[in-house]
Amino acid sequence: MRRYIARQVLQLIVVVIGISILSFGILHVIGDPVLLLLPQNAGKEEFERYRHLLGLDRPIYVQYWTFASNAVRGDFGRSWYGDAPVFRLVMERMPPTIYLTFAGLAVALLIAIPLGTLAALRRHSFVDTLCTILATAGQALPLFWLGIMLIIIFAVRLKLLPASGYGTWQHFLMPSLCLGMAFAPITMRLVRSGMIEVLSMDYIKTARSKGMAERRVVWKHAFRNASIPVVTVLGLQFGQLLGGAIITETVFAWPGVASLTVDSIRNQDFPVVQCAVVLLALIIVVVNLIVDVVVGLIDPRIRTGA
Amino acid sequence: MTASNATPEVALEARPAAAAAERGTPLLRRLRRLRWGVAAAAVLLLIVLSAVLAPLIAPHDPLVVDIRHRLAPPAWMAGGTPDHLLGTDQVGRDLLSRVIYGGRISLIVGVAAVILSASIGILLGLAAGYFGGAIDWTIMTVVNIVLTFPFVLLALAVIAVLGPSLPNMIAVLGVAGWPIYARVIRAETLALREREFITAGRALGMSHARLIFRQILPNLVSAGVVIATLQVAQVIVLESFLSFLGLGVQPPIPAWGNMLGEGRVYMLNSWWIAAFPGAAIFITTLVINLLGNALRDWLDPRLKL
Amino acid sequence: MRRVALPGLVFLLVFALAWPGLASAQTKEDTIVYSLQSDVDSWDPPASVLREAIILGYHAFDHLATRDLKTRRVGPNLATSWKNVDDTTWEVKLRQGVKFHDGSPFTAKDVKATFDRVLDPAKKMTARGNHAKIKGVEVVDDYTVRFKTDGPYPLFVERLTAQVMQSEKVIREKGDQWMAENPIGTGPYKLVKWNRKQDHLLVRNDDYWGPKPHYKYLRIRIIPEKATEIAELLSGGVDVIKAVPPDQMDVIEKSGAARTGTSPILRTAMLQLDQAARGGPNPFTDRKVRQAANLAVDADGIIKHVLNGLGDRVATGINPMAFGWDANLKPYKQDLAAAKKLLADAGYPNGVDIVFNEGPPVVEPAIQQTNDAIVADMAKAGFRVKRNYVGDNTVLVARVKEGKFGPMFNWSWGYYSVFDADAILFDVFKCGEPYSYYCNKELDDLIATGRSTLDAKKRTEIYVKAQKLLFDDAAYLYKWGLRGVWGISNRVEYTAPADEVDRLFLATPRKK
Repeated sequence: MRRYIARQVLQLIVVVIGISILSFGILHVIGDPVLLLLPQNAGKEEFERYRHLLGLDRPIYVQYWTFASNAVRGDFGRSWYGDAPVFRLVMERMPPTIYLTFAGLAVALLIAIPLGTLAALRRHSFVDTLCTILATAGQALPLFWLGIMLIIIFAVRLKLLPASGYGTWQHFLMPSLCLGMAFAPITMRLVRSGMIEVLSMDYIKTARSKGMAERRVVWKHAFRNASIPVVTVLGLQFGQLLGGAIITETVFAWPGVASLTVDSIRNQDFPVVQCAVVLLALIIVVVNLIVDVVVGLIDPRIRTGA
Repeated sequence: MTASNATPEVALEARPAAAAAERGTPLLRRLRRLRWGVAAAAVLLLIVLSAVLAPLIAPHDPLVVDIRHRLAPPAWMAGGTPDHLLGTDQVGRDLLSRVIYGGRISLIVGVAAVILSASIGILLGLAAGYFGGAIDWTIMTVVNIVLTFPFVLLALAVIAVLGPSLPNMIAVLGVAGWPIYARVIRAETLALREREFITAGRALGMSHARLIFRQILPNLVSAGVVIATLQVAQVIVLESFLSFLGLGVQPPIPAWGNMLGEGRVYMLNSWWIAAFPGAAIFITTLVINLLGNALRDWLDPRLKL
Repeated sequence: MRRVALPGLVFLLVFALAWPGLASAQTKEDTIVYSLQSDVDSWDPPASVLREAIILGYHAFDHLATRDLKTRRVGPNLATSWKNVDDTTWEVKLRQGVKFHDGSPFTAKDVKATFDRVLDPAKKMTARGNHAKIKGVEVVDDYTVRFKTDGPYPLFVERLTAQVMQSEKVIREKGDQWMAENPIGTGPYKLVKWNRKQDHLLVRNDDYWGPKPHYKYLRIRIIPEKATEIAELLSGGVDVIKAVPPDQMDVIEKSGAARTGTSPILRTAMLQLDQAARGGPNPFTDRKVRQAANLAVDADGIIKHVLNGLGDRVATGINPMAFGWDANLKPYKQDLAAAKKLLADAGYPNGVDIVFNEGPPVVEPAIQQTNDAIVADMAKAGFRVKRNYVGDNTVLVARVKEGKFGPMFNWSWGYYSVFDADAILFDVFKCGEPYSYYCNKELDDLIATGRSTLDAKKRTEIYVKAQKLLFDDAAYLYKWGLRGVWGISNRVEYTAPADEVDRLFLATPRKK
């Protein structure tokens, strides 16, 4: 077990480093932030002076090394757009995104588990197809469309919930519903196939022939084993959900790290983007690692697998 | 990140028996069981045909601007005319024609991006699964990097630098999508590698290349096809995501994604501008998903997807 | 069922954790809520390029002079009077009894410190260019200052409305980084909390020297998505929003919860044509082609149908509200036949190919729709327009400054809120300026003369000449002066501002 974790941790570190290098490189290819920061009537010498001030005139690997050595100590520099310390800025926005992601995941599971189980039990029937349709609805409807529809219905027409913002539990409902609905389909698909496979196993047939109640069969035996692929996928989904968080955060004016990142990309505020990308990557891989360890504990076969 | 790969292995023990049982069933009975998939395929065919035959079917030129008739509602509502069945958009272009033509872009992007990611992903998955060891570890690390890397940043980078053209969009979506193929194909390859016909082939002195391409690859076709089908739907949705960010196909070229993006402010009053492209995306995605499910049930019921 | 309960529990747990939130002592009645689509980068107005910073600056700070929105004339504020001592010296008398938010009194040394800081080339102040004609500020006594200018400076009084007064004590003791997050001004509101890119909370300054705002709290929310912003207005989450797209005005009007307010604003839109050939040779170096372009477009029709009448047609880039505007100069009227003939005369009997560079919708309402309409009109006259879309505004502005955005692109100009023809002529029409794609020595001479005389009558004559020149030469494709549209909640009484600067401290509750 220890060797397994060790290998995974090593991969984790390589992944995070790889991502930081990749995003560093991409950002420096995208554009020239100095053009944004200086006023319209600045002359050429001002540009050069600024470039020097920000360290943009040094070779790129030197810039990366400076960034990396500071980052490890928690110093991600100051924002070029607003001159605030980057680490503080990003970490302030992290909790709303994390909460939103988990809430969205919970909603996705709430939808996917019943639907997927039902579809597996009534395979090939109309119910199966209906479940697919319902689940697909969440995936096919673009997130911003879904979000705006929810706002129009619940905030404008019914005046039940606040249209956007952050602060109370009412602010949580629509964004997490929106995000959850978007990721229910893929989760449902996995629950369904996991359940199908498990339901045809011999020990299920045995339990049934022993006269065990169907409900008990499904929940006690089938689901426990089908949860392995579902839990695994959750780890992957976490990363995808962060992508969905971008739109959700923009539509609902949610003060999270995803919208901060997109904003900062537009403003070419490199330090903020770098910090956000690296920290988010770290969180994703750690979550995946935890998931892998948990699954490895449940099913010993996996640890020794390829 | 190896946990998910174990599940196909676990399942494969049960696979031969079930697959054999399936093959024994008469063809018509199988088709009847998959009737939803057949219906879906028919609808998809209609959609593809209308996209291909767009110049013949569309009542108007999708690019013609007519500001005096802008924001006209659909024909069945007050203020609508039969001339514009689904109404007009914010500069007076016919919505029905734009939806029909928009299908072209969405389908082209969907198919092209998927072909790109499938090619990359299957090749890398094969290599990882077959050769194992350091190659496997490297490829899977790259897979993890790509999966963890924010798609937005990649998209913004490529498109901001190279420009928002159709080939660039296809490139971005293709590059973002290959990891899932790599993962699944790797798992399948791992399982197949240990089978007798492979070990026998090695013993007989067959080259790696021959083994991979002649023996293993044909067995992966079903997995590849199913994933590819489902990914097309995913890519179509991603295209609208890019349009939301302003990176997708640029107006005035009609694409469902950018029509939705343009129409989102109008959802409060001229809702039809966003509703019909949205419905088109929904129906197309649904139909592709149903077809993908049916294909999976037909070809390889044990697939996790 | 246990398995469903688990995610449900997670859900509830997440809620419980997120509960603390932003509970505060404010109530609905004592708070007014305003929204912006993007946040400021700094609460230090001279250091920011953003219009939002100007707006926020009006709430925490005061200026030496301000514009009366009804008469549109500049009147005293922190300065009580001003006069020319000589052609290059202005003497300004200051108001007494004014205090900063930290209690220290406002005196002449604060004025000097503010301007010294802004004009200091070693600092990165954005506002420096606006006040470059001021050579220095002298303190005469506690309530009198003298400004020395570099030559006669007729825009001096106008530009007094463009600089907030900051505290000498704060500048000396605290430094730029602190000032970016802590505005210590003399203004009607004080900043309580700033959650970057989320919201601001301000509280009324009860020691304010002027009329105190009615609402005790001002909350400024950042809502990036326009549809959400309108929804918030309709559901009561926000009281005042700006930049409402003309097409969405009916949603607000019919809602019963809010209404719209419009006002012509200084911002003027046009399509710049590369007459100066900054990007290389192109058809627009020929006056006939430029005139043909102006004659091809039915700008009046576009204003009527696309903007729902919310635009003021202009003959050149000079806005009707700016000093020097010539009311007698009539704009181009659409004449497709004449346009085609001009193109043929210019050597393009079969039409001409041009590239149209476009950008994202940032300030101009309905820009995409109006562009679509313009391109369609131009096509009718024989212009084969190839459209090129640049998605990022920063990149766009950079390319414009580098001269790479021709031969035709969208541009609008806000005059820096200075209601004077010079405020656009210099930056957008003078040869060699980064934002100008036009080069005409005669015009340059007129500009130079216009800004170096203090005689208003002379200046008017000069600007009339300049406008005739710009019109006859069809320097650019002229469009219209913009009209701003605001969304105002029915629980609030508020007027749309002509200078695009929202003043929430003037808002009062609506009487039933």
